[in-house]
Amino acid sequence: MSVLAVDKLGKTFPGRRGQQPVVAARDISFLVEAGGSLGVVGESGSGKTTVARMLVGLTSPDQGKVMVEGRETSKPERGRAARLRRAREIQMVFQDPYTSLDRRLSVESCLRDVLNRHRPELAKAQAAAEIGNLLDQVGLASKLTASRPHELSGGQRQRVAIARALAVRPRVLVLDEAVSALDVSVQAKILTLLNELRAALGIALVFVSHDLAVVGEVTDRILVMYRGDDVEQNATAELLRRPRHPYTQMLLSSAPGPGWQPERVAELRAAFALTEGRS
Amino acid sequence: MTVDLTAPVVTATSTRRRQEWPFYLSAAVIVLAVIAAVLAPLVAPYSPSQTDFAALWQPPSATHWLGTDQLGRDILSRVIHGARPSLLGAIALLAVATVLGVLIGITAAWKGGWVDTALSRITDVMFAFPGLLFVVLVIAVFDRGQVTSVLGMALAYAPAIAKFTRSIALEEMARPYVDAYRLQGVGGAVLCGKYLLPNLLPTLVGYLVVLFGEGLMSLASLNFLGFGSQPPSSEWGLMVQEGRTGVIQGIVGPALIPGLTIAIVVVATNVVGVRLSDKLAVRK
Ligand SMILES: Nc1ncnc2c1ncn2[C@@H]1O[C@H](COP(=O)(O)OP(=O)(O)OP(=O)(O)O)[C@@H](O)[C@H]1O
Ligand SMILES: [Mg+2]
Repeated sequence: MSVLAVDKLGKTFPGRRGQQPVVAARDISFLVEAGGSLGVVGESGSGKTTVARMLVGLTSPDQGKVMVEGRETSKPERGRAARLRRAREIQMVFQDPYTSLDRRLSVESCLRDVLNRHRPELAKAQAAAEIGNLLDQVGLASKLTASRPHELSGGQRQRVAIARALAVRPRVLVLDEAVSALDVSVQAKILTLLNELRAALGIALVFVSHDLAVVGEVTDRILVMYRGDDVEQNATAELLRRPRHPYTQMLLSSAPGPGWQPERVAELRAAFALTEGRS
Repeated sequence: MTVDLTAPVVTATSTRRRQEWPFYLSAAVIVLAVIAAVLAPLVAPYSPSQTDFAALWQPPSATHWLGTDQLGRDILSRVIHGARPSLLGAIALLAVATVLGVLIGITAAWKGGWVDTALSRITDVMFAFPGLLFVVLVIAVFDRGQVTSVLGMALAYAPAIAKFTRSIALEEMARPYVDAYRLQGVGGAVLCGKYLLPNLLPTLVGYLVVLFGEGLMSLASLNFLGFGSQPPSSEWGLMVQEGRTGVIQGIVGPALIPGLTIAIVVVATNVVGVRLSDKLAVRK
């Protein structure tokens, strides 16, 4: 059974005064298995973030629904127990690493805060050990535990954000442009990390990006969006080899639009070889 | 911490020092005012209510450094003793207004929708009302005195604080870490109280310190008009109003000195407030 089942999601934003309403998502459906991953690609404004936010319930869909292990997640939960259970179903990592952490909390207190909420059974020493594990998993040096966000680089912050999401032990992790703000070598490290986590923890990933080269590295299936529409959906290898929709072909050849460029891919592969060789 | 290595070090520190003396002077003024408020009986040379009918309207002298008023009371001692009701009044006013304003502002920002619309309409209407009108209303319903004037003024100040809090809360809520807390299952009340509010405090504190000066002045005006503290209190606004009779006879000290005291303290809190907001904003 699929961990994540998305059925005919739709969202239209009312247009600002005097403007047409914006259809940000229309009839978006897909399935993701445990340990599987789906990439969502498309250029700016194609509705990727809207879909991601609907998956986790931050934006309410006009149509359709999102099920995680058979439970609907696209509606807000009432009551503490239900909210905590929801949190363990699905988590999200946000695009901007500079504002996605609470600037008051050190790395350690940020993670401890999540553990206190979601794993209150852990004793103090166990929680400390778990924080060590999490930092290890995302490849953050333990000497950074006392640092606050302003003392960390973008890549380090993004790792903290991923660790924070993992601390909840979710079934599904949604990453919205999680590496777009980072430079290529850091991107490659985080993508490797995500692949490892997916295999080790059986987490289902939804990986949103405008960059096909990046998406190709972490996903086994890709959904291409254009102006809110699902224009093409296929296994990653197949889609990259034989794009059927002209928009996908355009993204792949990528003359004006963002995405696939041979140099870019070569660059990424080189960075990958580097990080893999090191670990 | 980041350090700008390209900045010319010497000029940076020297211009900074030049800009900082008003801050230190103002901070010293505030410290002095607080010492006066706390230790008045110890530091004042006379009792504030000790009359001396042999020495009415005295000019400054060795025995009465700032002279005496219409009842022969020592003005320096009265100004020192007046610090307590003056500052406490402004603190109480600000405390009540802040609790009300922050509660309304955060609720409006967090709930959004019709709650926000309703609360914003109410605060807009209250905002448009002159503050004095509130006080007159409150005093009409209850009675004149320090408590009613403080509460009335607090009602007048709350809308501005609510508006300010709402706008900075909305700005803060646009940061995705707030969404991250939601996704962790943190409830609205805890999220606002435990995570959102502490992140607003730095911005809020600077604003409130500036408002403190304004509040002090508003209360002094009320007292001057006779709505607030009553004699024999030596609250500064009341002292100005009592000293007024001297001005007609050409004796300005008894009215001028408490008036200047108010002005100095207000300017000092403004300088400190602005400086504080800058400093705290930089740390963001
Ligand atoms: N809260 C909102 N109110 C109104 N319109 C919105 C809102 N959020 C998104 N939109 C509109 O919906 C469309 C899709 O936006 P969305 O942010 O989902 O795109 P995206 O694919 O994530 O783009 P990007 O790559 O730039 O992040 C855009 O036209 C955007 O202007
Ligand atoms: Mg987006």
